[in-house]
Amino acid sequence: MKKMSAAKVKIKERKMRNQPSSVQFPSRENNPRNGGDTPVTGGSGSNAPSDIQQSTERQTKPQHRGGWVRGHQKDGGSYAKEIPKYISGGGFAMARAAEVRAMLKAVNKTTASCHVFEALPKHMRRRAMSHNIKRLPRRLRDTANRLREKSLQAGSKKKEQTKAKGKSRKARRRHGNLLLEFNRRQRKNVWLETHIWHAKRFHMVKKWGYCLGDRPTCKCYRPCYRAMSTHCLLQDLSYYCCIELQGEEEKLLAALSQLTSKQAGPTFAAALCLSGQRQGSVVVYRAGQYPSQVLGPVTFIWKPCTHGSTHRQLWIWAHPSIKQDLLPELQSVCQCCEAVVPPVVPVVTPAEVTPTTEPELKPEKAPKPAQSHRTKRKRSCKDACEPPAKKILGDGTRSHSTPVTWRSSSTGIVINDLTMEIVRYRLIGPQSHTVLAETLEAATDCNALDKSQPSPLWWPEHCKDESKMNLHKQQADIFNILKDIYSTGELPAGTVLGLAVDDPRLTLPSKKVKALPCVKQTEEVDEEKRRELMLRGVPKNCCQSFLWEQSVRDNVTDNKISEQELNRMRSEVLVPGSRLSPTPLQGRVPVLLVHQPGKQVGHEMSSWGAGWDLLLPKGWGMAFWVPLVYRGVRVGGLNMSLKHSQNKGTPHFPHDYPDCPAGVRFQEEQETELLDNFKRRPPAKRTNYVKHGCLAPFCCPWQQLAEEWELITMEEREERKSESQTETTTHTDTVMEQEMTSQPNIGETKPQSFFTVLRNRKSLKLLSGWCRPTTSKGQRFCRIGQVPLPDSSAVRLFLTEHRMSVVWVRLSLLSKGKPELHAMVCVPLTEDLKLLSNKSDCSGPQEPLHKNHFKTRAKHKKKGSNKTAAASSLSPEKTEAEGSAEPNLPVAAKDPKSSSESSTGLIFGLWPDPLPSVTSHCSRVTLGWVTQGDFSLSAGCGEALGFVSVAGLLSTILSQPTEYRGIVLLRNPTSLHYRLAKINIEV
Amino acid sequence: MSSIPLAAPLHADSASPAVEMDPVEYTLRKRLPRKLPKRRNDVYVNMKTDFRAQLARCQKLLEGGGHREICVHGLGLAINRAINIALQLQASSQGALQLAANTSTVELVDDLEPEDPDEAGEPMTRTRNNSAIHIKVFYPDPQ
Repeated sequence: MKKMSAAKVKIKERKMRNQPSSVQFPSRENNPRNGGDTPVTGGSGSNAPSDIQQSTERQTKPQHRGGWVRGHQKDGGSYAKEIPKYISGGGFAMARAAEVRAMLKAVNKTTASCHVFEALPKHMRRRAMSHNIKRLPRRLRDTANRLREKSLQAGSKKKEQTKAKGKSRKARRRHGNLLLEFNRRQRKNVWLETHIWHAKRFHMVKKWGYCLGDRPTCKCYRPCYRAMSTHCLLQDLSYYCCIELQGEEEKLLAALSQLTSKQAGPTFAAALCLSGQRQGSVVVYRAGQYPSQVLGPVTFIWKPCTHGSTHRQLWIWAHPSIKQDLLPELQSVCQCCEAVVPPVVPVVTPAEVTPTTEPELKPEKAPKPAQSHRTKRKRSCKDACEPPAKKILGDGTRSHSTPVTWRSSSTGIVINDLTMEIVRYRLIGPQSHTVLAETLEAATDCNALDKSQPSPLWWPEHCKDESKMNLHKQQADIFNILKDIYSTGELPAGTVLGLAVDDPRLTLPSKKVKALPCVKQTEEVDEEKRRELMLRGVPKNCCQSFLWEQSVRDNVTDNKISEQELNRMRSEVLVPGSRLSPTPLQGRVPVLLVHQPGKQVGHEMSSWGAGWDLLLPKGWGMAFWVPLVYRGVRVGGLNMSLKHSQNKGTPHFPHDYPDCPAGVRFQEEQETELLDNFKRRPPAKRTNYVKHGCLAPFCCPWQQLAEEWELITMEEREERKSESQTETTTHTDTVMEQEMTSQPNIGETKPQSFFTVLRNRKSLKLLSGWCRPTTSKGQRFCRIGQVPLPDSSAVRLFLTEHRMSVVWVRLSLLSKGKPELHAMVCVPLTEDLKLLSNKSDCSGPQEPLHKNHFKTRAKHKKKGSNKTAAASSLSPEKTEAEGSAEPNLPVAAKDPKSSSESSTGLIFGLWPDPLPSVTSHCSRVTLGWVTQGDFSLSAGCGEALGFVSVAGLLSTILSQPTEYRGIVLLRNPTSLHYRLAKINIEV
Repeated sequence: MSSIPLAAPLHADSASPAVEMDPVEYTLRKRLPRKLPKRRNDVYVNMKTDFRAQLARCQKLLEGGGHREICVHGLGLAINRAINIALQLQASSQGALQLAANTSTVELVDDLEPEDPDEAGEPMTRTRNNSAIHIKVFYPDPQ
């Protein structure tokens, strides 16, 4: 109550701040004649005594009035007091004058909170009034003007304090200044060449040292999905890092073979990839550590070999988050430790670069402008005549002296870091080749006059060479055949096509038009060619591209026609809007087209999401981006790549690689982010994960899961062993016993082993067959791959190999439900499976609500905070009580010391750090967790991708009846409802 | 597609000679059949969608869609279903609809990927043929 009254006083005080609180006549009691001497007191400090004063004043005021307004007062007080016998005119007038002045002041002065506009009624207020004073009614203009000046002064003062000089917007937007500003902003995080385009349309995130578009600001989730499945979705993947390896073929292969294993699929040495016809993809491990210590997935392209030469060139494309692990590993494997320090090269004017220079390893030119501009910035105020800073192409964050090349004296292998040197665009969708065919045009030959004279540009030099032109004609033919193909998925996966194309800005349509396929009945010859392309892909010699050569790349980058120049040339064309008739000589670009396979695993939606990657030399990014966008493609961000891989059923990097360092780093980041989000809510509004029985809503403890399932299988085996010992030993039992005797030995030899993700193709296939694969909603069982249940010995053999493994699975929900991130995959009980048989309600069982033991503990903690001795004695009891309630708590949690430690960092709604047994915490045994879950637009039901423990999965499958084999339960962390789902392992 | 034990020797391609293949060494991956531009009154029948839904779609095209004729296509296993749909349409129209069936052969492409990723094992591509049916369901002209 006291507080309330205080608040009221405050409010009143604020209201009355500028009002003259009283008109005082200090001598009113005894000498009214002198009353006007001190007329008004500013009542700024209105406290209790002054209130009293006021009230007394009000009572006294009628006294004076009573002098000449007689008898009309209602309050009797005036009559009660004695009326003065006489008044002096001067004193009276002065007193009145003081009153009038106070009144006028009160009327004129606005309270501080009241803005001028607030004096206006609502219907007369206009938004533009704040900057155009003439919109105000006349009577308010003066005050508004005064206010504005005051605020301007204050603002300028503030600016002077914070910023020395505030440049005008016009000055800031001037081209040179804008470039300087942009260069400054990309010193920390690399900008892609399409950054400005993206920043206008996307939510940008800073990730892995880059500024990347996450998702478009417009609502287009479904249109983007539709583009992926029916037309074309465009993405800028230039942030992927390219590492170039050069050297003898055998030495390269010998070095690289240490990083991969044949068991996990094709390696760097796969025949078709080695010839340069196909792009390959592998999962890279640390040298010689195959099942453990994963680094991450990479794709690679070999440069097609030239005749008789064993010197090869290889590009490895990797995600930026594994580059820091991959590069040292490659260096150690290739024994490349000598960093070639880039020599300081004088600034080369573009035309001087001759295309005939050897492909020697030149230093990157990108950092130079960045450095030069830094010094320029300081001088820029003095000499404005200096040309503006150069646009940064490539990596702006790397310092000038950082080596990008490493050479080995023993093996002769050269490693070259080509990060940001090559622009990579990805087109996803069945119509992506149509978009490409419409955007790009094979480079036109240059005329005889240009051929005759030597040129600094690469293309005229190439035109002189007959064999090179023949090759170009072949490539152009193949590119033209692409138009006759209806869907991108018809081509062999991973096909590579090299090409030289004209500047696509020349054929830019004036309006955005959707590229549509035009499949017509072709002639017999073309038909034959098309068939050949579909069956065999691009012939070997056509995979060659001049993009592989550094000198050509640099030449093309340096000699790009600027947008301004191009527009000038366009304006000089006779017929407006027509094509520039002789294509300018600089307008030829070598590109590389790489086909990306679509969905390859599983039985349905095959080749969904296939597309093409377009590789360009740096600096040409926007020149190709805008023409592509003008062909009616949708543009997607990081979010869409995640959805793309989810629909394809493939693990997405780094989200779904929990065993590699980049994946671990990602998980930690994700955990802190989710935890921060969670903690931002008030405790009463949080999901209580303790009550939901969800131990790890933010980060999945894979290691603990694998260890626990290993323990469970061991116990089962021991039980069985004791049973079998009582029985007479049969043949199978002896086999079992052999297994069992060998099993503990393995466990002893490897006491500390980390969990792995199962990537062995053969084992995956076996496991997939045992799960009884079905179609996505589980309606129909696939005719192929039906494998009878394995006998126990086979399972045991399998388990000895992969006892600490988790396996990538796809789960499709049988009825309702949308799985979310970190949903639990659980083993159904037999009565849960019975729910499935009666079709009317197969919604799934419920998890009983768990008890929150930490709530009481937290209370105790609060009480015991002042008496610490009592708290320490209390904690063991509590854990005792907890232990009795939850028999599954492991020993670690029962340890009073650890529990008391954990309760110090207690977050309401979350389990403290030493987690109890994750498998047996709920009423259903946990198998694994979901790492990607959403409603799948392609399957039309909820779909989840995640990992389950191999041991757990096998024991589940073995115990289930045949018709329900592979059925599991799925529960979201925020829900108590289990949903039935079908497990599919797709290889 | 999962591995199929390929017991019989397969003729890999017309150009390359018949190769004896180890049954476990190759994985068979079927590519999608070649798509052709589709008109509004073309119905491609598959085995994944519910039969009733496909039938309803055809009926909608004929009655609500204002098409005088529709074309029902079926490939391989779906031939049966295509015929079934066409006959159902005819029966439900009390003889107003007529059918005209055509058969054809569609060339399909399979990829054979070597299971043992050795330098020797090259992935192969083979073509095989499958039957298809195209049934024209139409209202006969009044005369």
